[in-house]
Amino acid sequence: MALAIDIVKRGGRRPSERFNRDKLHASIRAACLSVRSPEGEAEVIAEKTCDALIIWLETKPEVTSADLRRKATETLESFHPEAAYLYKHHRLVM
Amino acid sequence: MFESLAIVAFAALIHASFQLSVSMLTLLSGHAIGAKTAHTKLLRLTCSFLTGAGIMTLLLISFTSFMFQHSFGQTVPAIMWAVGCGLLIGLGIAVWAFYYRREKGTSLWLPRGIARYLSDRTKATKLSAEAFGLGLSSVIGELVFILAPMVISALVLIQLPPVWQLAGVGIYTLISLLSLLIVYAMVGSGHKLSRIQKWREDNKRFLQFAAGSGLIILGFYVYVDQVLAATAFAAGGF
Repeated sequence: MALAIDIVKRGGRRPSERFNRDKLHASIRAACLSVRSPEGEAEVIAEKTCDALIIWLETKPEVTSADLRRKATETLESFHPEAAYLYKHHRLVM
Repeated sequence: MFESLAIVAFAALIHASFQLSVSMLTLLSGHAIGAKTAHTKLLRLTCSFLTGAGIMTLLLISFTSFMFQHSFGQTVPAIMWAVGCGLLIGLGIAVWAFYYRREKGTSLWLPRGIARYLSDRTKATKLSAEAFGLGLSSVIGELVFILAPMVISALVLIQLPPVWQLAGVGIYTLISLLSLLIVYAMVGSGHKLSRIQKWREDNKRFLQFAAGSGLIILGFYVYVDQVLAATAFAAGGF
């Protein structure tokens, strides 16, 4: 599904980009796999999280990438808390 | 002799408590597992990283010792001990003050541009040779903090007989890699990265306090042992 929503990048330094479901799906899937979830489970969780986020996004013309990450973390938290922890903190490791 | 090796071992333990290499190894493992990398390749990458960090540590401690031996021979001047101790105590206070940033996660003191660059490089690492280079650069990246324990270890080492110097270099390198070896073993045995990262985050203030205190304690001990005691002996005419 192609949603016409602009994602404003961190700090506004880089240009905005169009929302890409596949990119979001891949990042959530990778977070699940990082905590040793089976591939099928990672796939299902990524699908469910993306679906929930798209419902949230439909009412908005644009969101920041930080908001998108925060909302994705909140949604992922209910499916897989450990993956959500890594997803949330991936920029704060070093 | 055993007192000297104990100082080297303690300095190496302080070195091991610094976290840049551990952060990079955690990120490297996380991205490799997340990209469905085969377990053997994951082990190869992490092993290469570990080897890189080990070799750079070995080279740095050997180079520092060589330079000191070349400059002072086997007798280190008291001023050099005083400089080393000042460095230890100063860096100990610096570690207490700003080793970790005041935000969630395990963000370190590094300027954000450099941290982002290292993070991006770590994520992009696919080959063992790249992981090896990353291991080398992780030690260089933390040079500001590991300089003090390395200088003191090198000053202690040059006073030992050659065979024990080699043993001391080996002991320093091995102990300084302990934290990386633990993460390597945990990743290799299938532990979840989220648990490792959560433990690091929960205990970061303790690690910071321990590293800073270790530097200060070592600084005071060496100062008393090498500067004050030597001065007192000289003043007493011994």
